[in-house]
Amino acid sequence: MNKQIRQNIAFTVFRLLSLAVVGILFWILGFITYKGIGVISWQFLTTAPTDGMTAGGIFPAIVGTLCLIAGSAAVAFPLGILSAIYTSEYAGDGKVVRFIRIMTNNLAGIPSIVFGLFGMSLFVNTMGFGDSIIAGSLTLGLLTMPLVIRTTEEALKAIPDTFRQGSYALGASKLQTVSRIVLPAAFPNIITGLILSVGRISGETAPILFTVAAYFLPQLPDSIYSQVMALPYHLYVIAVSGTDLEATRPMAYGTALVLIAIVLIINVSASIIRKKLSKRYA
Amino acid sequence: MKHAEKELASLKDEIGQMWRLVLSQLEKAKRAYLDSDVELAREIASREKRVNSFELKIDSDCENCIALYNPVAIDLRLVLSMMKISIMLERIGDFADAIAKYIIRESGAAADDTLKAELRVEAMLEAVTVMLADSYAALDTENTKLSGRILAQDEVVDEIYHDAVPVLAEAIRSGRISAEYGLKTMLIIRKIERIGDHCSNIVEEIVFYIDAKVLKHSKSAD
Amino acid sequence: MLETININFWYGAFHALKDISMKIERNTVTAFIGPSGCGKSTFLRLFNRMNDLIPDTHLTGECLIDGKNIYSKTVDVTGLRKNVGMVFQKPNPFPKTIYDNVAYGLRVDGESNRGLIARRVEESLKSAALWDEVKDKLKKSAFELSGGQQQRLCIARALAISPSVILMDEPASALDPVSTSKIEDLIHTLKRDYTIVIVTHNMQQAARISDRTGFFMLGELIEFNDTKKVFLNPDREETQNYITGRFG
Repeated sequence: MNKQIRQNIAFTVFRLLSLAVVGILFWILGFITYKGIGVISWQFLTTAPTDGMTAGGIFPAIVGTLCLIAGSAAVAFPLGILSAIYTSEYAGDGKVVRFIRIMTNNLAGIPSIVFGLFGMSLFVNTMGFGDSIIAGSLTLGLLTMPLVIRTTEEALKAIPDTFRQGSYALGASKLQTVSRIVLPAAFPNIITGLILSVGRISGETAPILFTVAAYFLPQLPDSIYSQVMALPYHLYVIAVSGTDLEATRPMAYGTALVLIAIVLIINVSASIIRKKLSKRYA
Repeated sequence: MKHAEKELASLKDEIGQMWRLVLSQLEKAKRAYLDSDVELAREIASREKRVNSFELKIDSDCENCIALYNPVAIDLRLVLSMMKISIMLERIGDFADAIAKYIIRESGAAADDTLKAELRVEAMLEAVTVMLADSYAALDTENTKLSGRILAQDEVVDEIYHDAVPVLAEAIRSGRISAEYGLKTMLIIRKIERIGDHCSNIVEEIVFYIDAKVLKHSKSAD
Repeated sequence: MLETININFWYGAFHALKDISMKIERNTVTAFIGPSGCGKSTFLRLFNRMNDLIPDTHLTGECLIDGKNIYSKTVDVTGLRKNVGMVFQKPNPFPKTIYDNVAYGLRVDGESNRGLIARRVEESLKSAALWDEVKDKLKKSAFELSGGQQQRLCIARALAISPSVILMDEPASALDPVSTSKIEDLIHTLKRDYTIVIVTHNMQQAARISDRTGFFMLGELIEFNDTKKVFLNPDREETQNYITGRFG
């Protein structure tokens, strides 16, 4: 067997495997779209569930998920970005920083249900927020923080040192260098990382289970202390513990489709924003 | 040895060949003059072209060295001095050729051995030959100790040249030689004197090339 | 005038500069040459304290600019760097517009007078022989310029804060010959108003542009002499071996 043939065989195997991955993805998407597209209508997207959640729409759940995304972003972004700036630009490479970094990575590995329980005991009970948007946002925010820190650190590290040196050589202070050179240059990548982490939290169920999600609440929240419905939890409810599972099956698929669509929109917009921003600086 | 060093070594080798050729031309001119040997004089004239082609070759080699290898410090001094030395060697070759032509042209005129002895042209030719040989030895051994001796020889040459004027004037006035022959002889003596000057210049070039190096050696020792 | 007195410098345990004393006159171009790792860049970076950014380094000796020790405790490092500009090996314009790149040094210095900034930007770009090429696209990204133009932009950026000394760390090593000769011409012109110290790997460049040349080897300053002297008749054999390529 000569080299050429061996190479062809190897590449064919690689190609089939990668096709399989994409194939599975499209299979899932196709299956859910096929099953769920039937129930999608303007009314489904804009009205509350009725008749014991066997009829009506999922509007409160959509609003609830958007509220949680906004809330957890408000918690995770400032804290995550600032601590990433501290560890990568200011703290050098000492023992403390290495410890912080290891802890951050460990935090990222903790199962999300643990975050849920922690959030319930700290925010819901100890701090007395009750089941509320604020408790859920704090919990989700903590969950995403390691991811935010890591992607921000990566984005900052990708900025060549020659920029920093050029800035120092012109008499700029460290703060000026970070705020005027490093952050603007890292901005496209930081933003992308942030949006992707938002995409991730929008699908989480476990952390909101005990901290915010309402089983059935056909109205919109009026403050950050309100409970809300959320898409992932609603999906869980109508798929396994509804009043009439058979009848609501199509609605479950429809809800899944909406959730996937939201994540997809977030991810696509991330890559568009990055392209636009990078072009501005390139 | 680095590539550039090889180029410089071959340049030095070439100038050595040219030097030996010019030296042999000068020695032959001396013998041809003493013996009024027309055959030998013709041989000198026929080899003049080789001297010229050496000069052209060394000139273009030096240009190449400068263009391609950017010589600096001692290498630069070597190339610069070789360039100038080759020009001066070529001029010395020209003078040897002129002496040969003089011998051929004036072979009809009766050889006047007394006049030859009075003019001391033989001593003059001997002196410039030694100067040329010594300066080659100085370059070859990269030693400038000979330079004093060489420059002293040039004073001997100048002295003979100055003495030749009254001797020839007297010979013409007394009718021993024709005025034309006398003037031509004077021109030849003048040319031999110029050979001495060129040899002095060559020695100065050699000192320029080498002495910095010697100086440098003594300094880096401390 | 720059002066160092018995400078020793260590990276951790590595003794990078050994007992270097040197004087550099005002309005001259001084070139540092030497094999890689000989300490010439480290030495250059002493003058604007860029070595401070590297952890675990140690310095003894004095480094004076106009008679003042720039390593004394009372010296404000950012102020020092405004007086001692630096141009790096690879052109490193900031990801900003051409205008903002040049204005950067003034702005971080707290200058907010727009008219003054605009004037300095134009003057600096003219001094760096770049104005005619960029005057119609000042609001375009600096990355749209060619490598050679970017390097001249970096020079303009350094000139904008009116330093008296400009350090250049192999400023033309990443450029093509035409851009290189533009930079060299520029160095010649700038000499009138600035003291320039340049590190270069290109000995011909050192020979072309500098008044004085320092040869470094293994952390020592082997020879510091007039450039003409170094390239025609160096005092030290090590220098001659290096510049004629008979190194080692």
